[in-house]
Amino acid sequence: MEKMKFLLVIVQLCFMTTNFAATPAWKIVPAKSSLVFVATQNGAPVKGRFKKFSGIINFDLDRLNDSKIKITVDMNSVETSHEELTTTLATADWFDVKLFPDAVFESTKFIKDGGNRYHADGRLTIRDQSAPVTVSFTADQPTKNSAMVKGSTILKRTAFDVGQGEWASLDEVGDEVKVDFVVSAVR
Amino acid sequence: MLVKNTEKRYGLVAILMHWLMAVIVIGMLCVGLYMTGLPSGPQKLQIYGWHKEFGILILMLVCFRICWRLGNISPIFPASLAKWQKLAAHAGHYALYFFMFAMPLTGWMMSSSADYSVSFFGLFIMPNLVGPNKPLHELMVFLHEWFAYGLIAMVCLHFIAALQHHFYYKDDTLRRIVSWKK
Repeated sequence: MEKMKFLLVIVQLCFMTTNFAATPAWKIVPAKSSLVFVATQNGAPVKGRFKKFSGIINFDLDRLNDSKIKITVDMNSVETSHEELTTTLATADWFDVKLFPDAVFESTKFIKDGGNRYHADGRLTIRDQSAPVTVSFTADQPTKNSAMVKGSTILKRTAFDVGQGEWASLDEVGDEVKVDFVVSAVR
Repeated sequence: MLVKNTEKRYGLVAILMHWLMAVIVIGMLCVGLYMTGLPSGPQKLQIYGWHKEFGILILMLVCFRICWRLGNISPIFPASLAKWQKLAAHAGHYALYFFMFAMPLTGWMMSSSADYSVSFFGLFIMPNLVGPNKPLHELMVFLHEWFAYGLIAMVCLHFIAALQHHFYYKDDTLRRIVSWKK
């Protein structure tokens, strides 16, 4: 009986280890990663990017249900090709980087769409506003320890209170913002 | 009714182009001088948007206009004009044409080098002439501003010369750009 109990515990432990075994943790390679956005201003596209973002990535293509990512964007690192635009984006009406230095995306679910195409459901928080977001991406793993994820999503700036006050009108700056990203990661 | 120019008069097309562009160019100069002093905000952005759209329109109009001019005769100067006056008139007109091209082109380059694309009244988006380039952007800002002052000076001279012909020399110079009747 004692022996049986012991065996059961061992079996249980085995199960626990498989259940709790973490999906591999990946490290972002900043030099090979990028996060850019394209908004519409006066009917024409206007681009910007965030130079710094970090993330906790626990991801396994074969275990999507156990995968989880959390990306934190340094809002102070926003950059465009025009200084007046960059400084405007940092102000209280826009990102308010002093009060809200980070934007966070947290995944809730990964779904395989076929081939190397996937999409992730998650929550994005910019300023003090959260909204559900779906991100489509391709994931490639050229070697066991390196991965390249390229994807995009379309956000509505009004959902996050980005562009308030006199900027609330969507005539000059449109609502939709396309976000494109490349994340290179190693483990 | 004259559509094309003759040796004595401007035709309908030349007259329409002259006055249409006069209105837009003078309007653009005024708006341009006004808008640069505005504080950052949606109003400034909106006016800059209009300024760029009309700038592209001017570029299109002047392309058409120069083709029309080259494929057409121009009225000859009044015989009473001194040689230096003919030279001055030619130089003035060349300068006006130069600015009509240089203003929109430097403006377009200004936008492109700052990585802003230009929409043409929401109909299509102009291609960027160059990639983002800060030194080039600053050069274009400088040129656009000084070409604008040059253009203002030339428009004033043009205006004074027209009045001088009409009231002092009492010739047909002003009349022929106003009336297209034979």
